[in-house]
Amino acid sequence: MKQFITFLFLGLAAGSLAQTSEDYIPRDAVTVFSINNFTLLQKIPMDELVKYEFMEEVQQELFDGSTSGKTLKDSGIDFDQKLNIYYGKGKDFEVSGFSFGITDKNLLFTVFDDFDRVESPYPGVEFYSSYFNHLVIAGNVGILLRVDPNYELVEEITDSIWYARGNGYPWMKYYQDEYNYEGEYEYDESAPPPPEEEIYYEEVPEPQSSGTVFDEENVDAILEDDVEEDTLDFPVAESDPGQKNYSELSDSVSYSLQQKFLDRICTELFMEGINLKKADTRFARQLGHDSEGIFYMDNSRNFQKEQGFWYFQTMFPSLYGRIEELYTGNVILGDLKINESSIDLLFEANYGEALGSIYKKLTDSKFDKKILNYIPENSPAYFSYNVNLREAYEQAFDVIMPILKEEQNPRVASSVLTIELIDEFLNKDAIFDTYKGSMFGSFNGVKKVMVERIRYSYDEETFEYTEETVTAEEEIPVFTFGFSTGRNDIPEKVLNYLQKVTRKISKEGDVWKIDKGFLDAVPLYIINRDGLFVLTNDEDLVHRNTSGYGSQKISKKKFRKARKGGFVYAYVDWGSAIERLPKEVFNQKQQAVVEQLKEDAGTMELTSSKTTGTQTKFALTYQFDGEYENTGKYILDLVNSLYILSK
Amino acid sequence: MKWLFFCILPLFLFGSCIEIIDDLRINSDGSGTFRYTVNLSASKIRINSILALDSVDGRRVPDLEEIRAKINSIEQKLASKPGISNVKTGQDYNDYIFRLECDFKSVADLQNAVKEIIAEESKDTRMEYLDQDWISLSGNKLVRSIPEYSIDRKNNLKQEDVDLLKKGSYVCITRFDKIVDRTENEQANISANKMNVMVKTNIFALIENPSLLENTIYLSNSK
Repeated sequence: MKQFITFLFLGLAAGSLAQTSEDYIPRDAVTVFSINNFTLLQKIPMDELVKYEFMEEVQQELFDGSTSGKTLKDSGIDFDQKLNIYYGKGKDFEVSGFSFGITDKNLLFTVFDDFDRVESPYPGVEFYSSYFNHLVIAGNVGILLRVDPNYELVEEITDSIWYARGNGYPWMKYYQDEYNYEGEYEYDESAPPPPEEEIYYEEVPEPQSSGTVFDEENVDAILEDDVEEDTLDFPVAESDPGQKNYSELSDSVSYSLQQKFLDRICTELFMEGINLKKADTRFARQLGHDSEGIFYMDNSRNFQKEQGFWYFQTMFPSLYGRIEELYTGNVILGDLKINESSIDLLFEANYGEALGSIYKKLTDSKFDKKILNYIPENSPAYFSYNVNLREAYEQAFDVIMPILKEEQNPRVASSVLTIELIDEFLNKDAIFDTYKGSMFGSFNGVKKVMVERIRYSYDEETFEYTEETVTAEEEIPVFTFGFSTGRNDIPEKVLNYLQKVTRKISKEGDVWKIDKGFLDAVPLYIINRDGLFVLTNDEDLVHRNTSGYGSQKISKKKFRKARKGGFVYAYVDWGSAIERLPKEVFNQKQQAVVEQLKEDAGTMELTSSKTTGTQTKFALTYQFDGEYENTGKYILDLVNSLYILSK
Repeated sequence: MKWLFFCILPLFLFGSCIEIIDDLRINSDGSGTFRYTVNLSASKIRINSILALDSVDGRRVPDLEEIRAKINSIEQKLASKPGISNVKTGQDYNDYIFRLECDFKSVADLQNAVKEIIAEESKDTRMEYLDQDWISLSGNKLVRSIPEYSIDRKNNLKQEDVDLLKKGSYVCITRFDKIVDRTENEQANISANKMNVMVKTNIFALIENPSLLENTIYLSNSK
């Protein structure tokens, strides 16, 4: 994800949208962000751009002084064309990069000044390389590509070659360090000695040194040569300094695979005309939208790449196939719309009918109006989430159990029986009445509390020290969180029991109190009445009116918005929320993000549509106070914030 | 001892305030008692918040059981070292105060035990800093210093870490059953009864300048 964001902003530093730039997105891309109106960013000085943290990973390579005094406009990028940023991770490799239009190649290389031209095996296509990145120019389109083989694959091949050479366990030294001190595991003295820690640098062939580096047969030959020369007499690598150690071998395998996968992608893109736009019509349709940007994410392929599912695929191939079918069509498509003083992100989550039937039942719930009594009008951030767990459970049971029942594997059959018995014996009414699936939460600012701490005081005579308890003022967040319940009696039973086993829990009137229940500093209260189970550390709410905030509850206008906001609704007033967040909770880096958000303060609202059998729509609206010409900077600031937080 | 301070450095980088007391009592025969106290009570809200998370700043947050197990493991290792006895630890998870105490036959035994444990616990294979002596007692002269390892850590510190470390304090106390004649560290205070020496600094200053706690203490022959 970080790499994706990095490339996204690398893209912002470079790109625009050519007529055919979208024709150079590899079919392996799982996530694509395509910016139609890139002109928003062309006035941003590059010097300012390279200061963003998301540029850290690439700025040294691309912008080492070559951006001084320039704007994106000076980069030779065609702002009339689309900029496409993509990322994808499959079973064998990860690919990321972007494609963009070019107006002036010379200007482009004043920015991409670390790329060196290498011989291209594809007619009419220019290749440039810089470390792990490749810049390919096809006509008036530039494609920045990075391909990284997956670690598991590199490890598998490296291990295979390593052991075929007669070597022992490569990590024996670390194994010894880890276990020998405990005396629980003894190192086999007869085993070969661990490798000497000898550092030398291997000559890695540069891509430009040969035009055949993209030749798959050549790659295989590299691997075969490595094996053949060493398996003749099974030398032990550790004893032969002329041989590659494990890390060096791993680097060689990684490099060879990288070239192999790069060649496959390039052959498809530049020789066979295979790309994502042709491979997925949904993406092609989305590209036709006239919004400022579009978003595409194929969740069904994200499902396939999950490592857990690879095991599943191996052990239960037929069941995996049926589950995969269930995920077919699971694609998220989105549009970015930039208005006078707001940015709208409109998403639609698409899925197949079977999965859609579960989601439809899940979101077929009635909004519980009572929860709004517990959200105060001055709350800077709150959310509601309304789902019908009971209906979703029954539907999921009907959809998934037949799939599982078809599987002949005894382990799956045993699981099916267990699930069916649990379904029969459990009191589902009690479970789903206790927690129906709807919840809400609100952040209500901060309050100062007195917290005890220990301090040491020293005797001047002897410097002996004694502990003394002092109190210090600290800020803590105030929140309310709760869910709807049709069975207040069940949590009441649990609380009554807990009251008997711990003195930390007590009942004051109709409110339960957990002493120092929040961060071991302040009491946490439970209001369990009238069909709601509410957790809060807000003393005002608890001591004034346990049935809600009364006249201080959320306004009717906000109430209506939340009610009509669909099964998931969220509202954040950034300016107010950030101002009221306790600084102590954040580290320095997070505080920098907070300060940045403060400058761009606005409100953010998330709403959702009613779910149909195949689709749910979401809208995220960021309303800000700035002017239209600042929109580009808002986007950069927001993405930079995301980047910092995801680091 | 400072070694423990550097072992737990990542922990208190998360905290806004820490107090460390490094208390060494040395008897006339060279034996003594070492007490090390880490007081994180001023950061307990923050620590409780962190412990509720899986990771912070990309670093995995250990759970309380893991912390307990690590401290117990160090206690056991220390107890098995030659010349070390009566090893005790105190773990207060309400106020987050941790204590380690042990007796030693000689300061050399204490130093060797500490070095061995650092070597066992460290993932850093470069152990040059373990060649350095941090404490030595010769006649009426005691020399204490700080491991070179701390300098490596200083170079790795980020600005946010620096700000936090400035709020922490490190108190180094050396006790004798003899009268202290003089000390070479100008920041050192001698107690009213003349038998104890204290040097106090903030943790950032210490990392910036590890020599702040370096001290040569000269004892008089009279008790």
